[in-house]
Amino acid sequence: MILKSLQHRIVVVFVGLLALVMALLLTLVTRSNERIVAGEMKRELAAGTHVFKRLMEQSQRQLETAATVLAADFAFREAIATQDQPTMRSVIRNHGLRISAQVMMVISPAGLLIADTQREAAPPGSFPFPDLVAAAEAAGKGTGFKQMADGRLYQIVLVPILAPKLIAWVAMGFQVDDRWARELATTTGLAVSVVRRHGPQADLLASSFDDSRRVALPEALMGLTGDAVQVLSLGAEHYQSVQMPLDQDIAVVLQGSVEQAQAPFHSLQETLLTVVLGGIVVFAFGSIMLARRIVRPVNDLSAAARRIEAGDYTQPVPSLPADEIGRLAVSFDHMRERIASREEKILRLAYIDTLTGLPNRTRFLEIFSQVPAGSSGAVAVLDIDRFALINNALGHPVGDRLLSEIGLRLKQIIPRPNRVARLWGDEFAFLLDGANKAAVTAFAESILAKLRDPITLDGQRLDVGGSLGIALYPQDGRDVTTLLRRAELAMVAAKRRHSGFAFAVDTGSGPAHEQLSLIGEMREAMARQEFVIYYQPKLDLASGKITGAEALLRWQHPTRGLIPPLRFIPFAEQTGFICEITPWLLECAIDQTARWHREGLAIVPSVNLSALDLINPGLVAHIGGLLEQHKLPAGKLCLEITESALMDDPELALAHLSELSALGLKLSIDDYGAGQASLAYLKTLPVNELKIDQTFVTAVADSPKNAAIVRSTIMLSHALGLTVVAEGAETPADLSWLGINGCDVAQGYGIARPMPTDELAGWIAGFDARADGVPATIDFARAGKKRNDRTAVRSNA
Amino acid sequence: MIRAGAAWLALPLLFCGYARAGTLEAAVTTPAGSPVEDAAVVVEPVAATGPHRPPATAAVEQRDREFMPYLTIVQTGTAVDFPNRDAVKHHVYSFSAAKFFEIKLYAGKPMQPVIFDKPGEVALGCNIHDWMEAYVLVVSSPYFAKTGSNGTAVIANVPAGRYRLRLWHPRQKAPPPQREVEIGAAPVKLALALEVAPRVVKQKPPLESDRY
Repeated sequence: MILKSLQHRIVVVFVGLLALVMALLLTLVTRSNERIVAGEMKRELAAGTHVFKRLMEQSQRQLETAATVLAADFAFREAIATQDQPTMRSVIRNHGLRISAQVMMVISPAGLLIADTQREAAPPGSFPFPDLVAAAEAAGKGTGFKQMADGRLYQIVLVPILAPKLIAWVAMGFQVDDRWARELATTTGLAVSVVRRHGPQADLLASSFDDSRRVALPEALMGLTGDAVQVLSLGAEHYQSVQMPLDQDIAVVLQGSVEQAQAPFHSLQETLLTVVLGGIVVFAFGSIMLARRIVRPVNDLSAAARRIEAGDYTQPVPSLPADEIGRLAVSFDHMRERIASREEKILRLAYIDTLTGLPNRTRFLEIFSQVPAGSSGAVAVLDIDRFALINNALGHPVGDRLLSEIGLRLKQIIPRPNRVARLWGDEFAFLLDGANKAAVTAFAESILAKLRDPITLDGQRLDVGGSLGIALYPQDGRDVTTLLRRAELAMVAAKRRHSGFAFAVDTGSGPAHEQLSLIGEMREAMARQEFVIYYQPKLDLASGKITGAEALLRWQHPTRGLIPPLRFIPFAEQTGFICEITPWLLECAIDQTARWHREGLAIVPSVNLSALDLINPGLVAHIGGLLEQHKLPAGKLCLEITESALMDDPELALAHLSELSALGLKLSIDDYGAGQASLAYLKTLPVNELKIDQTFVTAVADSPKNAAIVRSTIMLSHALGLTVVAEGAETPADLSWLGINGCDVAQGYGIARPMPTDELAGWIAGFDARADGVPATIDFARAGKKRNDRTAVRSNA
Repeated sequence: MIRAGAAWLALPLLFCGYARAGTLEAAVTTPAGSPVEDAAVVVEPVAATGPHRPPATAAVEQRDREFMPYLTIVQTGTAVDFPNRDAVKHHVYSFSAAKFFEIKLYAGKPMQPVIFDKPGEVALGCNIHDWMEAYVLVVSSPYFAKTGSNGTAVIANVPAGRYRLRLWHPRQKAPPPQREVEIGAAPVKLALALEVAPRVVKQKPPLESDRY
C-alpha cells in the first residue's frame, strides 16, 4: 500500500538497503567481536595461567633458595645443633623474620617436630606433612601448600639442615592469604582463588575477589572439574575459569571476566550502533529529500496531466528545473498546447456547422443531454419553405449563402449560445429550455416574422418562409431523438397546413411507442386487409357531372377503430412501406375503375403518388401492366403528385412523369400554391391538371385576395393548357364562384365527403338525379365540417 | 695417606710378635654383593677394655677442597690434625655430639690439633665449602680397620679372645645388628653385609671461580 507512492518506494528501498547492509555489518562485527573476545579470553586465560605457573615456580624457587641459604647459615645450624628448645625456637623465629616466613618448624631427621614458632612448648609428635619430608628426602627440598592447625593456608618449604650431614629439617611457611591472591591477580590479570577441595565441595581459603563474588564462588565451583576451561557465573558476571591443583586437595582457580573482556567491544558496538542509527537517520532524511525532489515535479506533472485529462488546457504546466523531468515538463506543456488547439479544431469540426457557424446536430444532441432531468421546455424544428426549389433554380452557392444568412438571423434572435443548431439541409433546431407553450408560441411567431423579411443576395430578392414543428418536453417525450422526430413531424404538418408552426401534441401523432407499434402493425394490416379505400367525388363544374374521384387510404384498425392517415402515412413514407401500399392502392383503384366502367359509370379516379413512389423505377411498368390487365384505358386514371414529391430527385421524377404521360395517364399537380413550385417550372412538366391548394379555395367567395390568386391561377393554367381543379370547395358560394370564374373541376365537402367504395356509385346516381332537378344547388348542408379529414386527404400525397 | 697411616699403625703390631695373636679379615658388601668402601670394622674385647695405647695422632687433610680421607677411625684421645694443603682457607667444624669444635678460617696447619676424647661419630664439614664432608669415628678399642675399595678390611694382631664386632659406615641406612666374634690363631674371615646409601656428590664449583 505504502509502496504505491514512488517517494515512499525510493525511501523504503534506500533506507531498507542501508539498514540491511548495516545490519549485516553489525552482525559481522558482533560475530567477529565474539570470536575475538572468545579467542582473547582464551589467550588471556592461557597467558595468565602460564604467568601464574611461572610465578609459582619462581616464588617456590625463591623460597627454596632463601630457605636453603637460611638453613646453611652457620650460626643457625650451630643453634639447631645445640638441640636446646628455647635456643632453637628463638633462632627459627629470628631467621623466620629474615625471610618473612610466618611459620618456622624444625623437624628431626626421623620426622619428629622438635621446634615450632607457633607453639611455645615443643610439641610432641610428628611433623604433620610427611609427604613434604619424603619429597625433601628424595629431592633435597620439599614444597607444598598446606593448611595448618590455625586454619590458614601456607606455602611451606622444607629444607635440610646439613652439618654437613643432615641434622634436622627446617620448614618455613609463607601465608597464602587474600593479599597473596591479589598480588598474583594483579600480575596475571586473572582473578585468583585458592580452595580446598573435598569432592565437588570447595572451601575458599584465599581469593582476590571482593566479598560479593567470594560468597558465590564456592557454589559456582561445584561445576568446575578437571583442568578444562569452563565459564562460571558469579552473580551477574561470567568468568572463564580454570583450576590447577596446588597440592593434594588444594587447588587454585584462575578466572578471567567475560564481561571485562567484552567491555571494550561492547563500547565499540555501542558506538558503531550509534553511528549506524545516526547514519540511517541521516540517510533516510537525505532519501526523503531526494525522493521529494524527484517526486514533487512528477506530482506537479501528474496534476497537470489530470487537469488536461479533465479538459482544462488553460493552466500551463509548472516550469521545473532544467533536468530530465524539467525537459519532460516542457515537452508536456507543448503537448498541452497542441492538444488544446487540436481539440478546439476537432470540436469545431465535430460540433459546428461550417456553413452557418451554428452548432450541428451532434452538438445539439449533446446540449440537450445537459438539460437537467425533470425540467420542462421545448424542442423546435424549423424547415425553410421552398428551399429545394431555390437551390435548384439558383444553384447551390446561392442556397448556401441563403442558409448562412438565415443562420445569422436566427443567431440574432436567439442570443443564448447553443440554443439554435442546424440539423441538416435547410432544417434548424431550437432548444427552448424552461419555455411553456405560450412562450414557445410567441417564439415561433417571432422566428417566422423574422424569416418573412426578404433576403437580398446579389441584388436578387428572395422571399423565404419557414415551418416550425414544436415538441414539448416532458409531455411529448423525454429523449432528444423522440422530441426531434415529433417536432419534425409537427413541422411537416405545419408545412402541409401552411399554418407556420404546429405543436406535436396537436398533429395527432401519438406517443412514440404507439407509432412504433403502428409501424409494426402496418404490414400485418396489409395482409389482414385492414386498409380500405375511400373516394371523394370531383365535380365537373361546366357539365355539373361527377367526372372523377380521389382515392384516399383509410386504416380500419380492429381495436383502435378508423385511424386517420396522418397517424400512419408519414411513417409509411419514412419506413418505405409506402412503396408496398401505393401499388396495392393502384391495383384496387384500377380494378374498381374498370368495374365501374363496365357498369357504365365513367369516372376517372385519382391516386396520390409519394416521393418514394415517384423514384421507384418499377412504377411505370407496374401501372402499365395493371391498366392492360384490367383493360382500362390510360386516360381513365389520374395520378396526383405534390410539388415537394418532385423535388427529392427532380430528374428521375421528371423522367418517370414523362413515361407515365407517354402511357396516356393524366397527371395532376397536387397542393399547388402550398409549395415552392412556380408556374414557370410546372410548365416544363408533362402534366394535365393543376390542383389549387385548399387554403386558397376555402371561402374564396369571401376573400378578395384568395379570389384574385385563384382567378389568376385559373387564367394562367388555362393559358398553359392545364385543367384546374379546386380543392376545399366547402360552400355553395365557393362552388358558384368557381363556376363563374371558369374553374374546371371542384372537390370538397361542398360536394361530398370521402365515402366507401361501394357507396360511390349510388351517391353519383343520387347526385345526378338531384342535379337534373336542381342544378347547382347541391347538398351543401354537410359542407364546412371536418377540415381535418380534408387535411388527411392531402397528406396522402 | 690414610692407608699409609693404617700401615703405619699395623706395622708395630706385626713386629711385636705377640703369641696367640690373630687376624680378622672382613669383606663388607651390600646385600646386593657389591663391595662397600669406607666401612669401619671395629672389634672390642667383650671381657675388658682393650689395652690403652699412648696418645696417637692422626690427620685429616684438606686437599683440592676435599677432606682426605673421607673416613678416619681413631682411638679415644687421639689428636687429629687438619692440615690445609689448599691455597684457599677452610673453616672446619663439627656439630657432632662426640666432638663439637670449629677451626675458623685458617691456612696451613692449625696451631693445635683437635683431640677426640669421646667415642662416637663425628661429622666434619667446612663452613665455606658446603660440599666438603668427612667423618671421624672415635672408638675406645685399638682394633679397627676400614674397608678399601675392594670392600675388605683386615685387623691384624688381635689377641685371641672374644670380641664384639662393630660395623659402621657414614651412610649406612640402619645400624647393623651387633655380633660377637671369636678370634684365635687362625685368621677369621667374615663376610658382612651392610646397606649403604650411595654417596651424594654435592655440587662443587670449579676452582677457577674462586679466582674471582
